Amino acid sequence: MQLIHRIAASLGFVAIALGTAGSAQAQNKELIVGSSATYRPFAYESPTKEIVGYDVDIIKAVAQKAGLSIKIVNTPFTGIFAALNNGDVDLVISGVTINDKRKQSYDFTMPYFEARQLIAVPQTSTAKSLKDLAGKKIGVVTGSSGDDTASREFGKTNPDIRRFESTPVVIAELANSGLDAAIGDNGVIAFRVQEHKQLKTVNDPAFPKEYFGIVVKQGNKALLDKLNAGLAAIKADGSYAAIYKKWFQGDAPVLPAQ
Amino acid sequence: MEPILWFGWFRADIIAEYAELFWRGLQMTIAVTLICIVQGTCLGLAIGMARVAEARHAPARQLCKYLLRWPSTVYVSFFRGTPLFVQILLIHFAVLPLFINPADGLLISGDTARSIKQNYGAFVSGIVALTLNAGAYISEIFRAGIQSIDKGQVEASRSLGMSFRRTMFHVVLPQAFRRMLPPLGNNAISLLKDSSLISAIGLAELAYAARTVAGAYSRYWEPYLTISLMYWMLTLGLAYGIKKLETRYGRGDSR
Repeated sequence: MQLIHRIAASLGFVAIALGTAGSAQAQNKELIVGSSATYRPFAYESPTKEIVGYDVDIIKAVAQKAGLSIKIVNTPFTGIFAALNNGDVDLVISGVTINDKRKQSYDFTMPYFEARQLIAVPQTSTAKSLKDLAGKKIGVVTGSSGDDTASREFGKTNPDIRRFESTPVVIAELANSGLDAAIGDNGVIAFRVQEHKQLKTVNDPAFPKEYFGIVVKQGNKALLDKLNAGLAAIKADGSYAAIYKKWFQGDAPVLPAQ
Repeated sequence: MEPILWFGWFRADIIAEYAELFWRGLQMTIAVTLICIVQGTCLGLAIGMARVAEARHAPARQLCKYLLRWPSTVYVSFFRGTPLFVQILLIHFAVLPLFINPADGLLISGDTARSIKQNYGAFVSGIVALTLNAGAYISEIFRAGIQSIDKGQVEASRSLGMSFRRTMFHVVLPQAFRRMLPPLGNNAISLLKDSSLISAIGLAELAYAARTVAGAYSRYWEPYLTISLMYWMLTLGLAYGIKKLETRYGRGDSR
């Protein structure tokens, strides 16, 4: 008799626990943010295994303004859009350049960073622009804007384009003389080149301005609106400028609203 | 290119767009696999023999132990005990730069080193890593094969006056080889599949082609299904070749 009571009591307890958990989740569901943490200074792992960086500070500030609860998960860049499609992550902030091709498949917030492509070469190189890299071995991150740029200029299947998983690997290969040049986003390339005395950057003025945006699944307008409102709020109250200054030492550029 | 849909969902056009990359990738995968099977088998034979080396009298006895058996055991243990992926990165970014480096390469330096690194860097590192790894596994196959041959065979040929070397190459190894064929075939198939890991250091083989397409279009079915079929065809071909060899060497077996 006592045993039956006990079982009934514990079942009831479990039911209550499940019920409260369910309702809590419905009220404030924790959103999973995908970010590839090999992209210093945008997102990288600190020695204490925390994911930190410019992107992380931005998304935290935005989430706070928008009243969203978030959890950042390190997601390799190559699979980051698949993770978004599969629902493994709810949004992506990972130095993703807004472009027309991606806009066909995903929705972007307003820009939160102005980027340009930047070329890294050995100090001894005489290259002055992208055109000078014809016939040279060029390293890029697979599927990145640098990959797009090199593919557009020299052909998608050109064997001189060497694709790698992440910027540190590309720069390591360049520093090891395995490449003649590397193309990537300015923030990351400039940061990585500082670590290697034998490398320098080449700024081709012909590269167009690009913008990073936060990505959500196509059609997720509710979340997109919240994120845009959060972004507008941090731009308005000066916390955006403070985050920018913290990671890039300069004044934040004026970004277009769309 | 206009989207071409097969069966309503398979975007054949993006594979066609990168066809050249897949074609070159296929050739590279085959080349890497064949080179590593041959080199790995030679290395495996050498290491496998070293692991069973024995001598009767000092100091040869000690030399065998400390210069052959111990180093080869450590070697096998290391290459079987660490992931191939890690070995590839270690060799490409740490070990080979010591030897081939424009600044101060121990083996090759200057402009030759630069041109080797740029044109064949990933290829060389990949071949070296895969060969060393395969050598470790194959040496175990050789060791097991050699040790599976009845001791009486060695004793008989030795008492006929054959040298150790002749006993090994004319009596033990031919019999052992027959038994080693199935595991060697297994190993060749693993090697073919493992070659996909070299894409991490930028070698343009099959997996690299698929990764490039996935990176450009964020589509995964098309590129990875395509290379899966290609790997599958290749492993079927390998398995068929091994089967033929087995039949050939198995002739005269009553079992």
